[in-house]
Amino acid sequence: MALLEIENLSAFYGKAQALHDLTFNVEEGSIIAMVGANGAGKSTLLDSIMGLTQTKGDIRLDGTPITAAKPQDIVVKGVGYAPERFNLFPYMTVRDNLLVGAYTAREDIETNLDMIHKLFPRLEERENQETVSQSGGERQMVSLGRALMSSPRLLLVDEPTIGLAPKVCLEIADVLKRLRDEFSLTVLITEQNANFALSLAEQIMVLESGHLVASGTSDELSSDERLAAAYFGH
Amino acid sequence: MLQVLIQGLLLSGLYALIAVGFTLIFSVGRVLNLAYGAYLLIGGYTYFYFSQQLGLPKFAGVALAGIIGCALGILKFQLIVRPLKGNHVAIEISTLILAVFLQSVVIFVFGDSSKILLPIIPGVERVAGAAIPFSNLFAAIASWVILISLWLFVRSTHMGRAMQAVSMDAKGAAISGVDATKINMFTWALSGTLGAIAGVFFASYTQLYPGMWVAPLIIAVAVVIVGGIGSIIGTLIVAHIVGFLEILTSAYIAPELRGVFTMLLIIVILVWRPSGLFGREEL
Ligand SMILES: Nc1ncnc2c1ncn2[C@@H]1O[C@H](COP(=O)(O)OP(=O)(O)O)[C@@H](O)[C@H]1O
Ligand SMILES: [Mg+2]
Repeated sequence: MALLEIENLSAFYGKAQALHDLTFNVEEGSIIAMVGANGAGKSTLLDSIMGLTQTKGDIRLDGTPITAAKPQDIVVKGVGYAPERFNLFPYMTVRDNLLVGAYTAREDIETNLDMIHKLFPRLEERENQETVSQSGGERQMVSLGRALMSSPRLLLVDEPTIGLAPKVCLEIADVLKRLRDEFSLTVLITEQNANFALSLAEQIMVLESGHLVASGTSDELSSDERLAAAYFGH
Repeated sequence: MLQVLIQGLLLSGLYALIAVGFTLIFSVGRVLNLAYGAYLLIGGYTYFYFSQQLGLPKFAGVALAGIIGCALGILKFQLIVRPLKGNHVAIEISTLILAVFLQSVVIFVFGDSSKILLPIIPGVERVAGAAIPFSNLFAAIASWVILISLWLFVRSTHMGRAMQAVSMDAKGAAISGVDATKINMFTWALSGTLGAIAGVFFASYTQLYPGMWVAPLIIAVAVVIVGGIGSIIGTLIVAHIVGFLEILTSAYIAPELRGVFTMLLIIVILVWRPSGLFGREEL
């Protein structure tokens, strides 16, 4: 059974429908990328999995339905989320931001802090800095760290590279790989930058105006001329 | 001079306690609780009823005031704030009506006339020509102890950090597993408790009367506007500005004008720096 199963998922903002009947699975231990242009519905998809939007359809985690569950219950069930705009707590220190992430996993604080400091040594050096005064790259690290503090099995990361310097993008990619390989997490990322997705994910899905239009390995997708031209730039 | 300093410190500690419960609700719940003064009213009368009319020990009276304030805060959250979810104007009007309603209840039960609260701790100490009632000293010290405990609580417990988190970024708090409804209810309970206890101190500082919810509300609003809502520390600083302004006015200008400059200060800050001196809205 797949760790995350999504069946006929639609999402709405009032009367406007932002996602249309999405169906896909995320296998345990994989890194999956959802690629799409601005406004395609990537953030809406991750928000929906997290219980933050109005949805129809089914979302199951490990076979248990989490559709329409509250975000806090979905966190407890093992989903961590690093959203597009980070949504950090600006006037709290790095350490306190991470500790809020541990709200539902207080027994794991030591272990998780160790892991995060190993992945992002910079966060340990800056642990008393307020996130309001941090760079984009540092905030992305805090955001990922905060999501990891809840001891998730599935990590959702919304456009991890947006606005970041190429060197930081590589660092983040490396961390996501290590999370899968060393800490056996399953990772679902979204990307506009398809080449970053290609370098990282074994399976790629393409989202256009709220519709899932393609899904496959990177080789499969880059052999489709239209998709290759639109997303992979070759 | 020393006299002004001492009186300013005593009054400011009390004002900080009054304002902090109001600030908490604004920061965490984004609600201007115009019934906040009613906690002080109910707290003062609860203490009066149990300690002075029934003759229970004074500290039991303070504790009961806190418990009733806590219950009132929870009721207000469940019956008004939650059903009116996000409709700020409706919430503010309802809370204001609630305050007037509670004032009527108090008049109905206890009558219209003002009452003197017996001092929590009797006795007066003369310092530099100023008479310092032990009761006021106790109120100031208790306020400080409560404020420091609150600060430590907000900074260093999971619940306190969650309160800060909700006040700074609701979505960030939700995806961290924080249940904002629970945190809000807890904050309303805490605010009611703090307000009611502040009410006992405030009534023993001044007097107990059915209209006593207005002045503390103005003080709380002043601290919030001048400080720009802001942190517990910001509240402390501005409470001292307001407290000293009042004491200086009554010492050197005229006691009748003591509240006037506070209100002028509110207007000046609103015009000059609408976001307040410290200008952030988070805990
Ligand atoms: N809070 C919102 N209210 C109304 N419409 C929204 C909201 N957020 C996103 N949308 C709309 O939903 C669609 C998908 O947006 P989004 O999920 O943010 O796309 P992406 O993350 O792929 O850029 C867009 O048409 C956007 O305008
Ligand atoms: Mg997006």
